[in-house]
Amino acid sequence: MKMLKKICLWFLCVFFFATPAFAKFNIAATLPWIGSIANEIGQDKVRVTSFVKPNQDPHFVAAKPSMILDVRKADILMYNGMDLEIGYLPVLVESSKNPKIQPGNPGNFDCSKFIDPIEVPTSVDRSMGDVHPQGNPHYQLSPKNILRVAEGIEGILSKADPENAGFYKKNFSSFRERLEEKQREWSAIPLRGKTFVAYHKFFEYLALESGFEIVGYIEPKPGIPPSASYVEKLVDMIKRVEPHAILSLSYYPQKEVKFLSEKTRVKSIIVPHDVGETEKVKDWFSLMDEVLKSLE
Amino acid sequence: MKPTIVFVMLLMFSSGAFAQTLEDRIRILEETLERQEEMIKEVKNLQETLKKQEKTIGEQRKLIEELKAEIRQQKAPEKIQEGAKQEKEEVSTSKDYQLDDRSRAIELKTASPLSPLQITKQTTPGLLNPAIGLSLDANYYTTNLSKSELNEGSIPGYLFGVEREFQKGFNLREAELTFFAPVDPYFNVYATIPITEDGVELEEAYFVTTSLPAGFQLKGGKFKSGFGRLNAFHPHAWDFVDAPLPYRAFLGEEGLDEKGVQLTYLPSLPVYTILGLEALQGENSILYGPNAGSGIHAFTGFAKASLDFGSDHTLLFGGSVTGGKTETDTIAPETRFSGTSILYDGELTYKWKPSNQKSFTVQTEYLFRHQAGDLLSLSTLAVDSLRRNQDGWYIQSLYQLGRWRIGARYDILSIFTDKYDLSGSKIDFGSRPYRLTSALEFNPTEFSRIRLQYNYDQSGRNDKLNNEILLQIILAIGAHGAHPF
Repeated sequence: MKMLKKICLWFLCVFFFATPAFAKFNIAATLPWIGSIANEIGQDKVRVTSFVKPNQDPHFVAAKPSMILDVRKADILMYNGMDLEIGYLPVLVESSKNPKIQPGNPGNFDCSKFIDPIEVPTSVDRSMGDVHPQGNPHYQLSPKNILRVAEGIEGILSKADPENAGFYKKNFSSFRERLEEKQREWSAIPLRGKTFVAYHKFFEYLALESGFEIVGYIEPKPGIPPSASYVEKLVDMIKRVEPHAILSLSYYPQKEVKFLSEKTRVKSIIVPHDVGETEKVKDWFSLMDEVLKSLE
Repeated sequence: MKPTIVFVMLLMFSSGAFAQTLEDRIRILEETLERQEEMIKEVKNLQETLKKQEKTIGEQRKLIEELKAEIRQQKAPEKIQEGAKQEKEEVSTSKDYQLDDRSRAIELKTASPLSPLQITKQTTPGLLNPAIGLSLDANYYTTNLSKSELNEGSIPGYLFGVEREFQKGFNLREAELTFFAPVDPYFNVYATIPITEDGVELEEAYFVTTSLPAGFQLKGGKFKSGFGRLNAFHPHAWDFVDAPLPYRAFLGEEGLDEKGVQLTYLPSLPVYTILGLEALQGENSILYGPNAGSGIHAFTGFAKASLDFGSDHTLLFGGSVTGGKTETDTIAPETRFSGTSILYDGELTYKWKPSNQKSFTVQTEYLFRHQAGDLLSLSTLAVDSLRRNQDGWYIQSLYQLGRWRIGARYDILSIFTDKYDLSGSKIDFGSRPYRLTSALEFNPTEFSRIRLQYNYDQSGRNDKLNNEILLQIILAIGAHGAHPF
């Protein structure tokens, strides 16, 4: 019982120590690109922490206590949605003990609510691999959808911090102008009609908008790594369709990609997938720059 | 000149000329023939090219048609005929890939922007149905011990008469049903209902508050206590098939799973720190017992902290204590103990996870139990006083590479102290109980796990070695809860 008294005292001590900081808006973002866009809109009025490493597979993020602490301190939690974070985010949200960011509250900001999803299955079960019931969740390379997400972020910030609404609106319109300008630059890159083989269903939004085609996948089913015999079959397929390149991401095993590239003499490209992955990818715009440049 | 000479000359000339022209003609003819042959070749080549071009045009037309059809489908989603192409495992181009997908009734469509009302998460609970999951945990177990030796199920000085969980041969540990849903903006409800061959249990059923201010959270109902590290994990989430010896000796395989309330506090500090207090009914049959007190008779407190070193290294450490009234029959044959118990726990977990493909974990816990009270002999009704100060420790390490994982564990009791005083006289039960365990896992996906485990078990304190081999399979269907750290 002595021990219990001690613990009670500890409780009280820590409670008085822990004074929350109100100076800036705290935004916790799951993926770095979400943090990047929040920074574009919020600039010096927000403090953004994003807790997924840019070289990490966003499907398999392990919850860490430090992430719980980030969510605990957040005024707004921004996430990709479409169940991409289903493996760790629910436990972070509940363990954070932060009422502001619980589902149903304005601080719980699902970026996918603002997008046009593609590949929405009418029925799905896990024998199909990691198929997301709400559609393909990798929309970060879609300028069309990202513009809407940025607008959504402007909306939530203006609502949560009405004093600075004008500031956020101005930042969003300069974001839009920059995006429109960049899109003219991007559309000059000759991708229309090109064909690619990809490791994962990661480029479908970009393919739709840029007019190239993904003609096959190294994964036999989303999220299922290829077997040796499957890779052998892929060699024939790639030789037959002669794609422009094989697209992979840094977090996938490079062994199969290298093997396929050597066997078929089709070049393989490791495409950057999130902000901060390489030195050149500083924000969402430079991410798009690097991605489109690598596909050329 | 004479006409004959002229004639001859003419003849000569003309014949010469004639011969020349013939030769020339033949040459010309040959050349023409050659040219014609070349032209024919060229024409043939051209024809081939044309054919090729026609083919390409045809293919492109087909593609355009397919794309048109797709656009039509995208605009007005229709059920796509199943079984259009059922070539499984056939590697193919995008069209075939999509066909393959279609055969699995996946439809591609571009939905209009979703209104908040339209958003229904299939893997998270809807309005009418909670998220439901089922995990199946089955194994094959074999040992060199006989059935009766196995069923003694005791660690002399620690535990008596607690049946072993597994019998030789096939075992179905449980099919565990889990339910989860938010109740309203203030509560979430969870229930864990393992179904075994003996019937249905209610392992956990509790609420968690979601809107208390300042980092406080209340949990209530029946739940696994926040005491220690391993205690809150369900068996299917353990790193080995069975619980380590200190848990088995002090709390039982099921751990501290009690009716009660828990208050936790997560302060907004630079370092993750969590503090918790619990008031529990105290029904754990080894540490407490349902008849030990008339009401709430057990309490728990814990404090844990976590530090990150870089982005790949994480350390979690903490201390816990649980204490209360005890009444149990699990100490010695034909006896009943009543008194008080207090159990301390120190925990440390280190995790290195540089990528999804690789990780390394070390986890260790030290437990110390102090117990004092009366030991009643159920046959003679004699009462002895009993004081027990005993401890235990385990350390386990796991290394994951891709879909494979290997693990090793060392668990031991009586590490620093093994005091068993019966009415003032110390009883010695012999050698220290310990085990060595190794395991190999294959995880096809995050929803399935196959594990082979070997235990070198010297916990019987009778020099009788128990060699155990377990082959386990764990499968999860339905809603799958997020993994805690």
